[in-house]
Amino acid sequence: MLLLQLLINGLQLGAIYALTAVGFALIFGSTRIFHVAHGAAFTIAAYLFWWSFSKLQWHWLPALLLASAAVIAFGVAMERWIYRPIQRHEGAFFTVFIAAFGMQIVVQNAVGTVFGRGFETVSVALSRAVPIATGLYVAPVALVAIGAALVCFVALAWFLTRTQVGTGLRALSDNPDLVRVFGLDPTRLSQVAFALGSALVVPGAALTAVTQGINPNIGAHIMLISLAATIVGGIGSLTGAACGGLLLGLAESLALWKLDAQWSEGVTFVILFVFIIFRPAGFLGRPLGTK
Amino acid sequence: MLAYLTNLAVLISINAILAVTLNFVLGYAGIFSMAHAVFFGVGAYTAAVVAIKLGGGLLLATGAGMAVAALISLALALPALRVRGEYFVAASLGLQMLAITVFSEWKAFTGGIGGITNIPPARLFGFEFATPAQYLVLTLLCLAAVLAIVRLLVRGSFGRSLKAIRDNETAAATYGKNVAVVKTIAVAVSSSLAAVAGSLYAFYMSFVNVESFVLDTSVLLIAMVVIGGVATLTGPIVGTMLILLLPAALSYLPGLPSTEIGSIQQIVYGAAMVLLMIFRPGGVWSLRRGQGQTR
Repeated sequence: MLLLQLLINGLQLGAIYALTAVGFALIFGSTRIFHVAHGAAFTIAAYLFWWSFSKLQWHWLPALLLASAAVIAFGVAMERWIYRPIQRHEGAFFTVFIAAFGMQIVVQNAVGTVFGRGFETVSVALSRAVPIATGLYVAPVALVAIGAALVCFVALAWFLTRTQVGTGLRALSDNPDLVRVFGLDPTRLSQVAFALGSALVVPGAALTAVTQGINPNIGAHIMLISLAATIVGGIGSLTGAACGGLLLGLAESLALWKLDAQWSEGVTFVILFVFIIFRPAGFLGRPLGTK
Repeated sequence: MLAYLTNLAVLISINAILAVTLNFVLGYAGIFSMAHAVFFGVGAYTAAVVAIKLGGGLLLATGAGMAVAALISLALALPALRVRGEYFVAASLGLQMLAITVFSEWKAFTGGIGGITNIPPARLFGFEFATPAQYLVLTLLCLAAVLAIVRLLVRGSFGRSLKAIRDNETAAATYGKNVAVVKTIAVAVSSSLAAVAGSLYAFYMSFVNVESFVLDTSVLLIAMVVIGGVATLTGPIVGTMLILLLPAALSYLPGLPSTEIGSIQQIVYGAAMVLLMIFRPGGVWSLRRGQGQTR
């Protein structure tokens, strides 16, 4: 029964991780920008949701919209004013990475200064656990998390395969030069990727605020998870990133069966480490070639 | 006031050793490690345990720390041989997170969250280091030694091999460089020299716990290297001074609540990283020297 309980918790956590990781993978896949400030977007979304919903007592829908608007603006601004100027004079991975990491530090501390460094939770009736069988407790919010993840993935898949912009995005990840030949604007498409990828953190951020609570340092953890999920799933594959996120969530939760809670993060990184050494392309990624 | 300045100078020298050794792998070998604080920690814990349990002096404790760090550095060298760029960053992050868990959970060796207290003062040939001023001399000597070693390695044929591998691994291999051996040695040298800083830190503070070896430390060290100037000899030292003097300078600004100083310091260096990468990717030191190279 404990195992089943951990499995359900793991699915809930995995759904949240998968949502965040897919946003990261979408940005990385189509623009080749290692957007480690994705965790910062998550922090911003989580805190704005908590602030407008719990503090200002807004309805959840405008609260989510506010969070979405803010992270989309953040993502697009990062692309426009930080990544693009850097890539103009030099495209080194290292330079982009340092700038993004600096931004992550700025956001983390700014959020701490503005909203306080404490631990905050959003309490809603949905997060109260209901006994389903003896010793098995499930909060309705777990279903919300899994449902939200499924809805987002279906919508994203539809967008990427059925709309012109979506097709353009996929083309951008395959061959940016060819995109230009076809008369599409890679810069515009990059901005779409950033807007969309950043917006994907919102459900995960709101759900994390409800289920686990948030603090300003959560961005770093989320960044690590997105990174790990993208690599374990295989860079360049959105399905891989989603599966990777799910796998990490399940592993983190199932580890509690045999290990103390402190080791759960360790388990995540052992998985990542093993993948990098033995199968760096991930389980759904393209072969690494000369990397 | 003098005591305060001496303390600051000791901490700057210890951090400068870390920044210089990190720059050795990051700047010259292109191995982008986010786990440098791990080897700082390994050096500190090993030195503390050797000094307490075995009654070892400075040389024995530091030597043991260096050996253990060099051994553990294989965990970093292995992914460095397999992958580059984003993948290696992720691997080293993984190592860093794993190390934090081990540092705080392996109670028999590291004392858990509480850490190790009452580390005896360092002994060297019967001389016992007691005052901060004596430690300052010791750390400055070590910094000079580390700088000399790094300079020797970088300027010599080993350094040319490193830079060749950094710039084009395939071409370097074609010219007969043994990429695997060169990379492994670079990581081992950098890690074991970082352990020297760990040992000095443990003896100086006479107390170590996991707080000093977390991801934030690794990131701070990267900030020191990047702000000072990647792949320059003296840049990391300049970067270390800039970053460590910042909180001291901020505390003299009127109207800042003291609880916010830590976070304002982080905002300032985070913003400095962003702006430098946009406008001057070689770091501040390369402004004057014009020799900064970011690749």
